[in-house]
Amino acid sequence: MSILGGLYRGESAVDFPGLWRRAVIISTVAVLIGLTSFGVRGLNLGLDFEGGTSFEVRSPGTSVAEAREVLEQLDIGDARIQIVDGDVLLIRSDVQDTARAAEIRDVLAAELGPIEAFEQVGPTWGDEVTDKAVRALLVFFVVVALYIAVRLEWKMAVGAMVAVAHDIVLSVGVYSVLQFEITPATVIAFLTIMGYSLYDTIVVYDKVREIVGRLGATDRYTYTELMNLSLNRVAMRSINTSVTSAIPVVSMLIIGSLIMGAATLKEFAVALLVGIFVGSYSSLFLASAIVARLKEREERWRLVFEKVRSRGVVEGGPTRVIGRQEAAVSDTRAAPRSSSTGGPARRRPTIATPGAGGVPPRPRKKKR
Amino acid sequence: MPRRQLIFLIGIVAITVAASVMTVVWRNEPLLGLDLQGGVSVRLAAVGPADEEMLDRAVEIIRDRVDGLGVAEPEISRTENGVMVSLPGVDDQARALSLVGTTAELRFRPVCRLYSGGTSRPASGVVPAIPASCEAVATGEVVPAVGPAGVTLPEDDHPGDFVVLSLAGEVGRQRYLLGPSLLTGEAVSEADALFIDYQWQVGLELHEGAVGIDGFNAIAALCFSGSPACPRADGSANGRLAIVLDGQVVTAPSIRAPEFSRDAILISGGFEKVEADDVSLALRYGALPVELEPENIRLVSATIGEDSLRAGIVSGLIGLMLVAVFIVGYYRILGLVALSSLAVSGALLWSMIAHLGTQSGLALTLAGITGMVVAIGVSVDSNVVYFEHLKEDVRDGRTARSSVDRAFPIAYSTIVKADMASLIGAGLLWYLTVGAVRGFALYLGLATILDLVATYFFMGPMVRLLSTTRWFAEHPERFGLPSSGAVSATAGHLGRVGA
Repeated sequence: MSILGGLYRGESAVDFPGLWRRAVIISTVAVLIGLTSFGVRGLNLGLDFEGGTSFEVRSPGTSVAEAREVLEQLDIGDARIQIVDGDVLLIRSDVQDTARAAEIRDVLAAELGPIEAFEQVGPTWGDEVTDKAVRALLVFFVVVALYIAVRLEWKMAVGAMVAVAHDIVLSVGVYSVLQFEITPATVIAFLTIMGYSLYDTIVVYDKVREIVGRLGATDRYTYTELMNLSLNRVAMRSINTSVTSAIPVVSMLIIGSLIMGAATLKEFAVALLVGIFVGSYSSLFLASAIVARLKEREERWRLVFEKVRSRGVVEGGPTRVIGRQEAAVSDTRAAPRSSSTGGPARRRPTIATPGAGGVPPRPRKKKR
Repeated sequence: MPRRQLIFLIGIVAITVAASVMTVVWRNEPLLGLDLQGGVSVRLAAVGPADEEMLDRAVEIIRDRVDGLGVAEPEISRTENGVMVSLPGVDDQARALSLVGTTAELRFRPVCRLYSGGTSRPASGVVPAIPASCEAVATGEVVPAVGPAGVTLPEDDHPGDFVVLSLAGEVGRQRYLLGPSLLTGEAVSEADALFIDYQWQVGLELHEGAVGIDGFNAIAALCFSGSPACPRADGSANGRLAIVLDGQVVTAPSIRAPEFSRDAILISGGFEKVEADDVSLALRYGALPVELEPENIRLVSATIGEDSLRAGIVSGLIGLMLVAVFIVGYYRILGLVALSSLAVSGALLWSMIAHLGTQSGLALTLAGITGMVVAIGVSVDSNVVYFEHLKEDVRDGRTARSSVDRAFPIAYSTIVKADMASLIGAGLLWYLTVGAVRGFALYLGLATILDLVATYFFMGPMVRLLSTTRWFAEHPERFGLPSSGAVSATAGHLGRVGA
């Protein structure tokens, strides 16, 4: 809680770069598990993708809930049940094996009423839909990467794409590992997660850009240190947003599926929940780590790094120990900037304080 | 300065109220999707043999036809010997059938005259070479086959024969005697319902070449001049060309020019919007690879049980309440501003969904609702980005009031950047996909735009207006901002670092 408190009060306390290595390891393992499971077990594609068997049972007065009880005994509780014209139950399940379907038919006939129709049905979400969606996604990735490259910079585009891919693999991985059934709604949930993750990453990057634009020109801090400051400053926002996004989903999970027993909502909510947290996590730990790594290789930031390291003790030795100093130093900007117009941060080095060095940061006086 | 803010605020609130009132007055209601409220299910059986591939192709075309309406999110699947189509919320079964369509080909046939004769079968006489003169029918040289219902039966509806067909929607009443087919649906590349000159029309675009604009112009020349193949009849100034689908005349416009350019053909005819939509759909997605016959049409209930739906609504509302409690607890009065901003964008979104649902058959499915739940999270975030920026500036020693003006452009620029990515995604998904994904894209796009609007025109101005009050300057903590005490605490902390 004290870390959260520190973040809340703006006394940045978390050493993000120190956590990057661990995060990368954890993510790599998780991604590998996801991919392996995807390769070995595959996905549990539902009726909409694979087709199945439909049964029409004339059974006036039987409610959907009663029908579902019967189906649960047959181990196909997730079948889709509709009432047609008032007295016929239309039951569609993803059972494809004809022998098993015939078995089910006989039980249904015994338990519910005469079978009026019984046949194989094709998928409603055909290959055509999937093909188009996949193509759209590829185009989307390219266009958004270009957009980020133009609006921010290409290294951030790389980081964002890796983070989004990571989030998608993990969310799909959860479905593969737990063998949840994939429905069209699930696909929508994946897309939602993707959008959310991208959004979150861009917000984080924009903060980085702002801080680097403001403090980078001083040449007193390495890119990683600036990144750490940005992350600390944006962390509270990320946490708040995750919480507000997750609350309705958690409520759906607890109230909807556990208390009111709507099974369809449960898997859906789990996927979204995983996606929301993974989306925030990847922005703070992966997307940032990748950009920092790429930027530190740039000539300019390497020079800064050398300079900072040569000053060693002053800046706190090895790059990783930063947090509080950063938060303090950022305040120096208030002095020079108070006279400027207060527009968005600029990259122009001329605006920020030159690296005069030595002067301890001082908070700006309160202006009335 | 606050004057502009005040105008923004009053403007957006007025628009929101107006939109909500109109939604209520016009009785616009969102059209709930198949999964939420059920609809009509049409079962079509193939006439004659059809393999899986043909049926799959038919599914695709039918999906295009139905989807072309907007995002009705139909459920279409192949069955053993046909196709099953379920449409959400369509209570008019005849309309459902006409949307789904059943026949093999779209044909352009010249109109000889309105027909009022009785039954005559079988067809007799040899049709002269195309273009066949309508005089051949007038003189009795050729007799069209007319079935017991007063029109040519589907099995006698050959492209090269004279036929009698009725106008769609007026079966048996408005009948036309039509010449042999001169052009098929293959000629059409694009068709759209357009609102031009205060009426709904159908804009038509044809392909190049003989099966396309050249073929069409050859017919247009015949009809315009009123040649025997396409005579002036029934008091019309020019000959008329019937567009025939499913053995029914979709529309029979008179040809008012001898020549048309490929992409500038307009069909007018006092259409209602729905009719213009249906005609353009028929033109666009004419041909099915197999002939399908409706086997039965039935009402089906929702696929998601009522229990799930109720659970979803209850949990959604509780979730929303918890979010409200969290936001207000955390940001105090700013939290209330955030909630009102959410209410503004929510009310506008609802009005749009209701309008589109009523007018264009946009269906609201579970997927759409999910999109909106997440959109709520993103809308809240726009507020959070700004508020956190404010807090940071105040901590840096700025007065609350000056932070308000300074932080908004920076925060808004971040929000625009992030929202643009969502918009790009929504646009591409909308443009490139079909089915449920498209519906999701639309909701995401709408919600994102409304988020930008509500943030710029409501949340920003509201906070700035509040910041001009003395109350704000004296009690920043009531706005969830660090008070002056917090600033000095930070200073103390900094001192420690500097030492």
